Formats: sequence, C-alpha cells, structure tokens
Amino acid sequence: MSDDHAFAELIRDYIAECLPLAEAVSDAFLRLERRWRDGDTHADDATGLKGTLHTLKGNSAMMGLAPMQLVAHLLEDLSARVLADPAARNETTAALLVEGSSLLVDLVQSAADPAAHAGAADEYAARVRLHLGATLGATAAPLRLERRNSERRDAGADARGTIRVDFRRLDTMLEIFGEAMIERSALLEVHRRLAARYGNGSEIADLDRVVSSLGATMKQLETALMQTRLLPIATVFGRFGRAVRDLARDEQKQVRLVTEGDETLLDKTILDRLGEPLVHLLSNAIVHGVEPEAERVAAGKPAEATVWLRATALADRVEITVTDDGRGLDCERILAKAQALGLDVPSTDSDAVHALIFVPGFSTADRVSHVAGRGVGLEAAAAAIHALGGGIEVGSERGRGTTFALSLPLTLAIVRSLIVEVDRERYAVPLSHVAETVRLEAGTLHEINRRGVAMWRGSAIHVADGGQLLGTGATRTAPRNYFVVLFAGPRRRGVLVDRLVGHQDVVVKGLDPTLGRPAVVSGATILGDGRVACILDAAGIVALREVA
Amino acid sequence: MPRSANLPAAAGAPSMFEFADQVAAGDAAAAAPAPVRQLHLITFRLDGEEFGLPVETVREVIRVGDITRVPQAPPHIRGVTNLRGRILPVVEIRTRLGLAPLVPRSTARIIVAEVRGRVLGLLVDSVAQVQKLPADRLVPAPDEIKSAHTTYLTGVIHLNDRLIILLDLALALDLPGASPS
Repeated sequence: MSDDHAFAELIRDYIAECLPLAEAVSDAFLRLERRWRDGDTHADDATGLKGTLHTLKGNSAMMGLAPMQLVAHLLEDLSARVLADPAARNETTAALLVEGSSLLVDLVQSAADPAAHAGAADEYAARVRLHLGATLGATAAPLRLERRNSERRDAGADARGTIRVDFRRLDTMLEIFGEAMIERSALLEVHRRLAARYGNGSEIADLDRVVSSLGATMKQLETALMQTRLLPIATVFGRFGRAVRDLARDEQKQVRLVTEGDETLLDKTILDRLGEPLVHLLSNAIVHGVEPEAERVAAGKPAEATVWLRATALADRVEITVTDDGRGLDCERILAKAQALGLDVPSTDSDAVHALIFVPGFSTADRVSHVAGRGVGLEAAAAAIHALGGGIEVGSERGRGTTFALSLPLTLAIVRSLIVEVDRERYAVPLSHVAETVRLEAGTLHEINRRGVAMWRGSAIHVADGGQLLGTGATRTAPRNYFVVLFAGPRRRGVLVDRLVGHQDVVVKGLDPTLGRPAVVSGATILGDGRVACILDAAGIVALREVA
Repeated sequence: MPRSANLPAAAGAPSMFEFADQVAAGDAAAAAPAPVRQLHLITFRLDGEEFGLPVETVREVIRVGDITRVPQAPPHIRGVTNLRGRILPVVEIRTRLGLAPLVPRSTARIIVAEVRGRVLGLLVDSVAQVQKLPADRLVPAPDEIKSAHTTYLTGVIHLNDRLIILLDLALALDLPGASPS
C-alpha cells in the first residue's frame, strides 16, 4: 500500500518535471516544421533540444517507462540525423518529429495510466526506423560521439551554480519566514511598551536602531525569498504551441502563435493557475477572433493569422496580453445582445460595450463552439484571473483585432491585507480586492427588500452584514461602524464590519481539507498576537447569490 | 512524549490488533522480555468516560490556546489554532461521539494526532495518562452498543474498575479511505 503510494508520488514528480520538457520539445519541433516549410532549413533548434531529450529519456528509463524512453530515444536519433544530414530536412522528417514529440507529451501526461497509449510508441518506432533506414545507412558511431559532447555541455551548465530544489522546501522556508514576521511584531510591541515606560534612554535608542534595521533586513529577506519562488512564464507559454496548432486545424484556419517576454518571472503558485484562463483566451481568439481564410484574404490580410502572447514585467505586477489580428469585436452585435438579455448598459462608449462580454451569462449562442463559446470561456477566464487578485480588460478595433490584457500580482504567498473585526473575530481582507472602506453615518445604509443598500460612487451597491455572512452567530455584540467595499472584476459588494484594525502583510496558508471548502474564506494566516485569522475570499463573497 | 524506539512508524492508523502485534515484536527485540503483550496507549476523558488512542498516532499534547472559528466549516470542526506557526484544525471530537460541545476548563487539552497523513487536533476534556496495558484485556465492544455510528470503537479494555474505550480515529473522524477492519 505505502509502496504504491510512494510510486504514485514518484509518477507525479515525473510528470511535473517531464511534461514541461516534453511540451518544450513539441513546441520547438512545431517551429522547426514551420520554418522548413518556409524554406529556412537550418536545424539549430535540434542542437538545443539534445539535452532536454536526453533528460526525458533518462528520467523515463529511471521510472521504467519504456514507451517514453523509446520515443525520446527515437527523437534523439531523428534530430541527430537532421543535424548531420541537410538532405534529411524534409517534410516527412519534420512530420515525424512533430508527431513523436506530440506523442511524447501524451505519454508523459498519462504516465500514471500506462495502458492509455499502449502500442502507440512501438507503432511510431517502426515508422521512424523505416524512415531512417530508407534515407540513409546507419550512422550510429558519429552520432553517439556528438551526444556525449552535448552531455558534457549540460554538466557544465549545472556547474555554474544552478541547483534544483523541491518547491515544498521553499514553502517551508516561507512558513518559517512567516513565523519570524510574527515574532518581529511581538518584538515591536515589547519595544513600544518599553519606550512608553522608560522614555528615551540610550538603551531604548539602541533598541530603536536594532528594531528598525531588523525590519529592513526582513524586507530584504522577503524579497529574496520571493525571488526563489519565481519561474519564467515560458513554462506556461510553452504549453500552447501544440494546442493552438490542433485547434486551428480543427477550425480550418492557419494560425501562428508568437510568444514574447517568455523570460518574465512569476510566482509558481500563480503560474500553476494561469494555464487554464490563457487556454480560454487563446481558444477564443482562434475560434471567434480569427476570420475564415477567404474573409481574411478578401480584407487584404495575410491568409495566416497571428496570435501574440506577450508578458511584460511591471513594478509590482505582470501584464499578459493575448492579441489576435482578426475581425475585432462587433459593438453593435454586443449591444443588441446585451439589450436582448436586459443587461444594464452604462454607456455606448466602445470600451464600456466591450466590457459587457465578461458579464456572466453573456453567451452568444449563435457563436458557441465546442471549445470556447464566447461568454462561457471568457467568464471562466475572468473568474480565474479575479480569483488570483488580477484584472482583465479587453480592447478591440473593428477589422484589426482584439487584445485581452491581464494584470497579475507577482506573488500570492504574502498578501497586503486589511485586518477587520466582526463580532470580535478578526479577518484579513486582501487589499487587492478592497475598493474602499466607508464609515457608516446616519442615513448611509438603507434597506430594500430586507437587504442593506448603500450609495457608493454614484451607484447603489448591496451591503451584506459581516456577522451573517461569516456566521458569527453573535447577536450584534458590537455596532457595525464601517463597510468594506470588496470587488472582483466588475462585481462589488459591501460588507459591514465593526472595526478596522489596520494594514498588515500576511503570509497566506492554505486550509486543511478537513475544514471543507468554505466559499467565503480562501485561507488563513497568523496575526502578530499569534492568533489565527481567516482570509476572506473576496472573489467568492462578491459572487455569492444568497446573502442577506 | 515517550515513544518506543523499536516501533516502526506506521502509515495511517493501524488496527489495534496490528498495533498489538507490533508492540509484541518490539518488546521481543528489546533486552527485557515482556511476559504479556502490551498496548501503549494515551488515555483521555470525554464526559466522564475514558478513551484510549495508540501513543504512536499522537504527536504531542498541547494546552488549549485561542481557537479561531472557520466560517462554513463542517459541524465537528471547532476551528483552527496556531501550532508553532502551523495552522492546526481542531476537531470537536465530542460532537462526533454525540456529546455536547466542550466548554473548555483548565484541564482541557488538544491532542495533536496524525491520522492518515493528516495532522489534526482533538479537543478533549482532559488527558489522563500514557500507559501500557495488557493486550489480552482488549475485548470487542458489546454488540448492543454497536451501530452504524459506532464502527469507530475498536474495542474496550476492562482494567480493575476502569473501562477504557479504544477509538479508531480515522473512522471516528470519518476521513476518506477509512473503512471498518
């Protein structure tokens, strides 16, 4: 039993490590196929892949995964051939490279279920061997030599000071850092009391200095720690080459995917949750943005469409854009649809109209496809981005194309929060979701249909009672003095609280599954006094339908 | 917390009988021969009754500090507490056993236990002691008190005037993967 468990864990590690590698290989061969078709038949990409293929082969062999080992080996042989022999750089070889790397991705993905692609590797091997045999005699000896050379190069790269660390260790370090932050707040408290009692003695002045330099050092440590958790966004971007190619083929369109800013760094916890919304946006661009070929040609555009996936690092955020050179959004259709659905249209300004496509339920049934019905996919993508504390916007020019711009925080591990108190319970509210805190004055809060309503920035918003929302069960032990306006995307909701305690950087900790999946709480943290506080899930709260 | 060094760390919650076998094997390997197989238990009280858990599943026993309620958590969860920087779920084991929630007094403790890879805190009225008890005193719980809700009773030990009820924690907490052995 425990052996099985350990093996399952190893398989998980294998997939986690090898899938991005296999995807990178698949992506590179797709680019190579495209270049060769355009007449540029150099094979430099294959050189760069030798180390990756070798790692894939080695890892597969270590896990006893023979089909993956075989396919990686065949891809090595094929790349060696195209490197050595320009005559081999033809459509058939390219097709075999693409097919093999694609198969490798499938095999690695389903490593836990070895029966999933039974026979596919052997069948592929037979064809590769036939192809290699047909084009030239065996050239095993020189190829081996070359492989050894490339291995030596890989070893050199590792020696330059890169080490591999289990991500869980970084989480542990962050937890320990969180404890240090708590201890520092305790120290600050003692410092404050000492200063109050003994005034400005020289020892107190020394303590001032130590405490303030400790604060600066902790900030540096936090930055350094955060940097260890950052990975290049290429690990996510690299996954899409094949998906875009397959979907474009299904749609009978020619689409080129161009990625920029692949080296932009983001926290791994965010990267892990970024793949899905990006798939929705890319599918949306291919299915709905890009016109059929004839329409493009008639409009004087190249038959092949381009979709750009760009990442840019800003000071404390990362911006990711998905841009297509397709038909652009049709304002009149969106407006007509919105009116038919009875949606509130704030303005006929094109930005305001474009923003309507994110409104939940805005699904134009006549344009739904099996991959991304416009509306459903966008709603899901927007919800995922909002849950990450990010934002999504759309810009479009009729006939020229559409751009979706995502803005994401660099990390989710330490979150600047507002600490609030409701019925003597404390909660952390991520500032990324707080629009404003409003002090209740006489006449601020109204009741419509037994629900609290307040006017806020010119519109009426629902204000829920924090005690009821969080089930404190208390009968108003303290008066509600404030409401906090939470937002996620276009949705807003006010929450009544008793007290605003202050701002604090909190270390986010997950909730044990034993605690269920509360819709109103996304995690927990430890406050300066050592008590645990739950972190409110603002995106969850604004999305709740039934709240008094 | 005393632990027997001879015991292998078991994965998950071993059945009490397996556990007894391991104890026997451990004792056999030790220098001093044990005349009777021993169960190494930590005992605690809930509403006057005495319950027992294998010490092996228990990591430590802590005093009850601040427990933070978690909104929308399942009913038998009392909340979470700070265990040296780690967020520990605290289970109201009393309500799982059909008793009223605990009103903590100074004797109340949290038993930090590891069950099927999860670390949980059990809120108990008080912790009695850690002791070795003869395994041959372990008898199945009487059929009359067994029902669908009492599969978590491994058995009872009758010792002088004490009756110690042995719990299968994974079953008592209704954790996934738990099944009556």
